[in-house]
Amino acid sequence: MKRISSVLILILIAGLSVATAQKRYDQLTYPELNTFQKPNVEIFTLDNGIKFFLVEDHELPLIDLTLRVRTGGVLVPNEKTGLASITGTVMRSGGTEKHPSDQLNELLENRAASMETFISFSSGGGSMNVLKEDFEELLPVFIDLLKNPAFPEEKVELAKTQQKSAISRRNDSQQQIGFREFEQLIYGENSVYGRTTEYETINNITRQDLVDFHNKHFVGSNMMIGLIGDFDTGQIKKLLTREFGKIEKGTRTELKFPEIDYEYKSSVNFVNKPDVNQSLVLMGHIGGLRENPDYAEIQVMNEVLSGGFSGRLFQIVRTDMGLAYSVFGNYSMNTFYPGQFYTGVMTKSSTTAEAIDAIRKQIIRLQKEPVSQEELKNVKDQFLNSLVFRYDSYEDVLREQISNEYRGLPDDAFDQYVKELRATTIQDVQRVAKEYLRPNQMQILVVGNEEEIGDQLQKYGEVNRIDISIPQPGSDKTQTVQGDAAKGRQILDKMADALITPEQELNSLTTVAELTQFNPNMPGGSMTMRVTTTVDYPDAVEQTMETPQGPMKLNFEGGEGTMQMMGQERPIPPQMIKGMKEELNRSYLAIARDNEQLDPQYLGTEDFEGETYDKISVTIDEKNISLLVDQDTGYPRLMRYEQFNPQKGENIQVETHYSNWTVKNGIAHAYKEVTFAGETKASEVEYESHEVNQK
Amino acid sequence: MRKSTFLSGVSAVLLVLFIMTLPGRAQNLEDFEKKVTEFTLDNGLKFIVIERPVAPVISFVTFVDVGGADEPVGHTGIAHIFEHMAFKGTHYIGTSNWKKEKKALDQLEKTYQQWLQEQYKARPDSARIKKLWSRFEELQEEAKQYVVNNEFSRIIERNGGTGLNAGTGYDQTVYFYNLPENRMELWFSLESDRFKNPVFREFYVEKEVVREERRMRTESSPVGRLVEEFLTVAYTAHPYGRPVVGWHSDITATTIEDAREFYNTYYVPSNITIAIAGDVDPDQVKKMAKTYFGGLKAGPEPPPVYTEEPPQRGERRFQIVEKTQPYLLTGYHGVSQDHPDFEALQLLGSIISSGRTSRLYKRMVEEEKTALGVSAFNGFPGTKHESLFITFAVPNRGFGVDTLEATINEEIEKVKNGDISQHELDRARTNARANLVRSLDSNSGLARALASAQAQQGDWRTVFTRLDDLDAVTLEDLQRVAKKYLVKEQRTVGMIVNEENDEEVADANQ
Repeated sequence: MKRISSVLILILIAGLSVATAQKRYDQLTYPELNTFQKPNVEIFTLDNGIKFFLVEDHELPLIDLTLRVRTGGVLVPNEKTGLASITGTVMRSGGTEKHPSDQLNELLENRAASMETFISFSSGGGSMNVLKEDFEELLPVFIDLLKNPAFPEEKVELAKTQQKSAISRRNDSQQQIGFREFEQLIYGENSVYGRTTEYETINNITRQDLVDFHNKHFVGSNMMIGLIGDFDTGQIKKLLTREFGKIEKGTRTELKFPEIDYEYKSSVNFVNKPDVNQSLVLMGHIGGLRENPDYAEIQVMNEVLSGGFSGRLFQIVRTDMGLAYSVFGNYSMNTFYPGQFYTGVMTKSSTTAEAIDAIRKQIIRLQKEPVSQEELKNVKDQFLNSLVFRYDSYEDVLREQISNEYRGLPDDAFDQYVKELRATTIQDVQRVAKEYLRPNQMQILVVGNEEEIGDQLQKYGEVNRIDISIPQPGSDKTQTVQGDAAKGRQILDKMADALITPEQELNSLTTVAELTQFNPNMPGGSMTMRVTTTVDYPDAVEQTMETPQGPMKLNFEGGEGTMQMMGQERPIPPQMIKGMKEELNRSYLAIARDNEQLDPQYLGTEDFEGETYDKISVTIDEKNISLLVDQDTGYPRLMRYEQFNPQKGENIQVETHYSNWTVKNGIAHAYKEVTFAGETKASEVEYESHEVNQK
Repeated sequence: MRKSTFLSGVSAVLLVLFIMTLPGRAQNLEDFEKKVTEFTLDNGLKFIVIERPVAPVISFVTFVDVGGADEPVGHTGIAHIFEHMAFKGTHYIGTSNWKKEKKALDQLEKTYQQWLQEQYKARPDSARIKKLWSRFEELQEEAKQYVVNNEFSRIIERNGGTGLNAGTGYDQTVYFYNLPENRMELWFSLESDRFKNPVFREFYVEKEVVREERRMRTESSPVGRLVEEFLTVAYTAHPYGRPVVGWHSDITATTIEDAREFYNTYYVPSNITIAIAGDVDPDQVKKMAKTYFGGLKAGPEPPPVYTEEPPQRGERRFQIVEKTQPYLLTGYHGVSQDHPDFEALQLLGSIISSGRTSRLYKRMVEEEKTALGVSAFNGFPGTKHESLFITFAVPNRGFGVDTLEATINEEIEKVKNGDISQHELDRARTNARANLVRSLDSNSGLARALASAQAQQGDWRTVFTRLDDLDAVTLEDLQRVAKKYLVKEQRTVGMIVNEENDEEVADANQ
C-alpha cells in the first residue's frame, strides 16, 4: 500500500511538472504580437518654408524639439575646412546680444533645460529639451539663438583653440588614425570626403566667415522641426507659428556633393604606432549609394558577412580563431555620396597577416559559393522579427520621418526595402557579392607597431608608409626670399669677416652666461640660471645648466645625445635634437663659418631703434632667416624668423637682438642677447666670457 | 564591433564622466508603485516587473551582484571571462553532441591543468610542456567538432532580439537584451538554461579573445593605460586596484575549474536580480518565473569582500611618459554609496564640473583656455565599496598637466573655504532631478536602474528616494566633505606626459 501510494505520488508529481513544463527554445510557439499604435504625426508648413512634424507623448512632463537645417561642411572650401563645425559650435557657445553666453547658460541650467546647435558634414541643426512648463518661455530664446547669434570674437577664438587642441591629439588614438587615413585612401586626401581640419585651415577662418555661413543657411527654407512631448497639438501650433514665423524665408541651400571618380586598385599602406601592441587593419574599397536598386540584396550580404554575433567574420575570426575581440565590416551606402566598403579587425601584432588572410578568404567565399539556406533565413528572420523595434518609441517614428524627408527618400522607402529584403534569394546574394566586392582590388591599411609586426605585410605588395605627422602652418611652403643676390653676398661676407677675423679658425667655443627665461607660468614670472656651453663645430654641443634641482648636463653630437640630471641619464628624443641642431646652425657664428655655402639675398634697409641697417635673408634648414647687419661694423644687430608655436597653433615671429660686442682671439661675441617671441620677451642672456678653440 | 563589454577602463571613465545617472524625484515614486510588481522565488531569486506598454517590446536585465572586486587572488578577470562564457550555450544549445563534447572538454581541462602545473615548477621540464601543449591543441580540435558556433546568440537574433550584450564591472555583472513581447517565454527558456547549465565551451579560445579585448581597451589606448596604472597606485589592498579585464598572467592561470567554482559561489539565486520592463503581464511573468527558474538550486550567501583599504599615509603620484598628448587624473579616497556623505560628494562633483556654468568648466575651458575638457565625479571605479572622488582633465595644446592640477586644487580649496552658493547647490539638484526623469523613458534604462538599486541597496525605490537624500544636503555638508575627504594625504595623482614636452625646460634653456 505504502509503496503504491508513493508511486502514485511520483506519477502525480511528474504530471504536475508536465503541466508547467519548461520548454526548450525549439519547442516554443508564440502568440500574435500585440499591435503597436503608430502615433499620429501632425505635419504642417509655415509661409517661410519651415516644415513641422508634431507627435504628442504624455508619458513624461517634457518637450523635446529637434531642428534640421539644410547645410553642411560639404559646402566649405578646402582652405577653410572646419568652418561649418565651428559655426555650429559658436552659434550656441556665443549666445546672442539679448542672451549673452553666461546668462544663457545660467538661464538654461537653472531649469535643467538644454539648447544645442551643430553643423556636421551633410546637415546641420539643433535641439531644445525642456520641462513642459518652461517651453513657452524658452522657445523665444531658442528662436533668438537661431536668428541672431552674436558670434563674439572671444568665443570664436575659444572654438578655434579647441579645434587645434583636437588636431594635436588626433594621432593619439589608433582607431581615429585608422578610419581617417582609410577615408583618405578611398576618397583622396584633398577631396571634401577625405580632407582633414588642419592648423592652417583653422587659422584661415574669421568671425565674418561664421556670420556669413550662418546667415546663408539658417533660414526658413532650409528648416524642419520635429516636436515630441507632453503638449496639446492645437495649442502649441499657434505658439510655434508665432515664434518660428519670425525667421526669414531666405533661399533654399542646394547641397552639392562632388562626384567621386574611384579607381579600383590594390595597395598596402602602413602607419607606424610604436605604443600599441595590436594592429588595426582596415581593408576595402569604395561602397555605394542608397538609391542603388540592389540596396536590399547588398544589405543581406552585409549581414551574412558581418552582422552581429551571427556574421561570418565574428564567427570565424573571433569565436573560432580567437584572433580578435573586435572584427567588423560594412558595405555602406549613403544617400548623398558613395559610402565605403570596409572590413576590419584589431588583432595582436603577431597575427596581423593571419587575420587579413582570414577576412579576405571570407570575402572571396561570398563570391565563390552560395550562402546557405539557413544563413539567408537567419538574416531575414532577424530583420523581420526585430522590425517592431524600429518603431518602439515615438521618437523613432519622428526621427525616421524627418530623416527621409531630409534625404529626399519617399515615405514608403522603408516598406519598399522590407519587401525587397523578403524577396532576396541565395542567387541574389552571390550576384551582388560578385558585382560589388573586389577582394583582389582592395586597399589595405594597417596601423600598428612596426617592430612587432616585422615583415608580415611585404607579401601583399610594396608597403606604402603613410606619414601622419601634423603639418605646421606654412611649413610646407618655404620659398627662398628673392632679392639682390650680389649685394647680399657682399654684406654676408662683411659680416662673416667682422665676426671671425680672416685667417682665424673657429673650431670650438666655450661660453659662460646667465640666462633668464620669462614665463608667466613660472613662480615669479621668470627663472635665472647659469649656463656653460661648449660648441664643437659643426655639430657637437656640451652644456651644463645650474637649475634649482641641481646641475643638468646636456650632450649631443651629430644626431644623438643624452641628458643627465639628478644622477639619471637618458637619451634626448630625436625631435628635440633636431631643434637644437637647427638652433646651432642658425647661430651667427655658424652662419659666419658656413658663409660660403649660403645663398644670401639683399632685401634693402630697415630701421631699428633709430639706426639704419642692411637687411639680408639666408635660408637655413628650410627656414628663412633675416638679419639686420650694422652698416659700419658688420655685426648683426637683429635676427628674425618664423617659428611654429604649439600653444597658439600658428607661426609666431622670433626676434633676437644682439649688443655689447666683445672680441677675443679674433672672434666677436655679443655679450647681451634678448629674444622675443611675438610681442613678448622670452629670454635674456648676459655673457661673462667666451673662449676660443679650448677644446 | 562592440559585443560583450566590461565596464572598466576608458569606457567607464568616459561614461561616469559624462553621463550623470542621479536618482530621481520622490513624487514619481507613487506613479511607479503602481507599475512595479516584485516577487521572490523560494530559492531567493528576485524579480522586478515594470509595466510600460508603450510598444509591444520587452527589455530583460539579469543583474548578478558580483564583479571584479569579488575575484579570488590570482584570478583577476575571472568574472569577465565567465560573462563571455555565458554566451557559449548550454547542454542543449551550441552543441551537436553534449555527451561527447563534455568528455573531450574534461580531458582538455585535465591537460591544461597539467601544462599549467609544469609551467610553475621550479625547474619546468620543457619537453613535457611541449608535449602537453600539443596534446592540449589536439583535444581542443576534438572538442571543437561538436560546437555549433554562437548558436545561443543566433537564436536570440533571429527571434528579433536587439541590444544583446553583457557587461562586467567592479561591482556587478549585467546581462541584457530586448525581445518582441510575444517572445517572452523564449527569454525564460534561454536565460534559465544558461544559468542552470553553464558550459565552458571554447573556454581557452575565448581567453584569447579576452586578451585582445585587453590589448584594445587598455594596452593600446593611452587613457586605458593611465586608468589601469592609476587604480593600482590608488589602492594597495582593496580589489578596486585590480583591472576587471585581468592581468595576462592571471588570464593564463584561470582554468575551467576555477571558472566553475566562481560560478558555484556567486551565481546562486539569492545573488541574482532580474528586471523585466515593457509590455508585460506580471502574473504571467510570475508563472513563467516559477516554471523556469524554480528549479535553480538555492546556495549559501556568497562571501563578502573582507579587505578594506587602509588609510593612506601620504600623497601618491606617478607619471607615464609617452608619445601621446598629456592627461591628468586625480582621485581622493571617499566613501561607498551606503555612506551618508556619498550624496554630498556627488553634488560637489556636479557643481564643480557638470555643465557650462560649473566652476572648472567656466574657468579652465572658457576663461583660461587651459583645458579641452575637465570633469569631476564621485564613485570611481565602483560604488558598492569605498571608492574615489576623481577629477579628469585634458589639457589644451601648449599647457602642461601642472597648470591644470594647480587650478583644480585651487577650486577645491575654494569649496573647503565655503565658497559655494545656495544657488549653485539648487541648480545641481534641479539637474539631478531632470536627469532622472529623462532616464526613465526607456525600458532598458528603467530595468537596469531598478535592478541595480534592488540588488545593491536592497530596494528599487532607492532610485527615487535618493532624491530626498540629495535635498537634505546643505552648503555646510559640501564644505565639510570637501575638508574631510579632498585632502592631499588621501590623494593619488596620475598623469601622462608627452615625451617631447617633458623635455621642454631643457629645450628652452638651450
